[in-house]
Amino acid sequence: MKIEIMGTGCAKCKKLFQQATEAVKEMGIEAELIKVEDLQAMMDLGVMITPALYINGEAVSAGRVPGKEEIKRMLTEAGKQ
Amino acid sequence: MIQTSNILFDSLNSGLMAVLDYLAQHVVTCLIPAFFIAGAIAALVKKDAILKYFGPQVRKFKSYSVASVSGTILAVCSCTILPLFAGIYKKGSGIGPATTFLFAGPAINVLAIIYTAQVLGMDLGIARAFFAIAMSILIGLIMAYLFGKEQAANQPPFKTMPTFEEEVERPRWVIPVFFVLLVGILIFGASQLDWATKLAIVYLLTMAVAVLLIYYFKKEEVTEWGIETWDLTKKIFPILVIGTFFVGVFAFFVPPETFRPFLGDNGLGANLLASILGAVLYMPTLLEVPIIGTTFGYTTGVMASGPALALLLSGPTTSLPSIVVLTRIMGWKKTLTYWGLSVTMATLAGLSYGYVIG
Repeated sequence: MKIEIMGTGCAKCKKLFQQATEAVKEMGIEAELIKVEDLQAMMDLGVMITPALYINGEAVSAGRVPGKEEIKRMLTEAGKQ
Repeated sequence: MIQTSNILFDSLNSGLMAVLDYLAQHVVTCLIPAFFIAGAIAALVKKDAILKYFGPQVRKFKSYSVASVSGTILAVCSCTILPLFAGIYKKGSGIGPATTFLFAGPAINVLAIIYTAQVLGMDLGIARAFFAIAMSILIGLIMAYLFGKEQAANQPPFKTMPTFEEEVERPRWVIPVFFVLLVGILIFGASQLDWATKLAIVYLLTMAVAVLLIYYFKKEEVTEWGIETWDLTKKIFPILVIGTFFVGVFAFFVPPETFRPFLGDNGLGANLLASILGAVLYMPTLLEVPIIGTTFGYTTGVMASGPALALLLSGPTTSLPSIVVLTRIMGWKKTLTYWGLSVTMATLAGLSYGYVIG
């Protein structure tokens, strides 16, 4: 599972990365966690409002920091597909 | 010996006075409610409805008007301004609405408008909001006129980016009433009524908010509101305190009077200078208020209204560091044009405002 956190480096983006990392650890799943801070990369993907969370290349959240429980739910959903 | 320690003591005292002036008086009545309002916007206002208006197929009138005011709602966290700008420019409505958003978004930041109105005066606060919106649309239209055609050719397919917020079942009046109550707390808290009346009114309004929260909001939403508010406070307040302290210290060594010949009138030179200063200097959120009030002496009548407004308009949108990023997004030709336009429009706004206010 590939998890990408898009953000230009502000507190919210860092918090999202931290919560995603913890969610992955607590669920014990295999996942690659990437923090994307490059504006060009974000533009290419069409990211408009940061922070944004992508799982396996699909956007699952944008413009906010979902709670850990919500992130876990999203991970479970993605795992099923 | 005595001389040096006097200077040290006096300059530090000046710093402390500045902090007291700009913060102590205003923290409870203005800043705390303002941070809660900003946090509520960030946490509770659904952004999807607004992002829809940035698509390439949206009618011009709608995309420009939404672009000019949406900064209040979308850009509570200033870090999202550049990504949003890039998104609207590359994949959405194009360079016109994108630059409209780029100019207005940072200038009509909720916290900044509230704090400006409270500390520097309602007239300047309202002028800031009004001119930010008006000038941003002008800038967007000019940019679209100059660069619009080459943009249309390069338009890649548009992918709407939803925010995936969970739908909450709630009567439609709840959120508007909620915000009216919060704004009411702010207005009454900051008003000139005697403190007993103020306390009673604010208390009642707070109770009303609590009732709304208990019956119409999910626990996670309230928690998210708290988190957003605290995050904003952590991000902005410490720098504001420290920055204001140094503004005070600086003013001890370079008193605002120094700037009177440069910024003390409403003429073209003063307004232009103020615009350029704003366009180049990086000023952390809210710090532009003490800088205008004390450093340049607006509150002591040294800096004139026009230049003050010009600085308030050109300050937030660009700074030397952000110009570098903009160049990477839209190239140096468009970036320099935008920069020039923001300076020009801020100057014009300052000139008109200064002329009217006198």
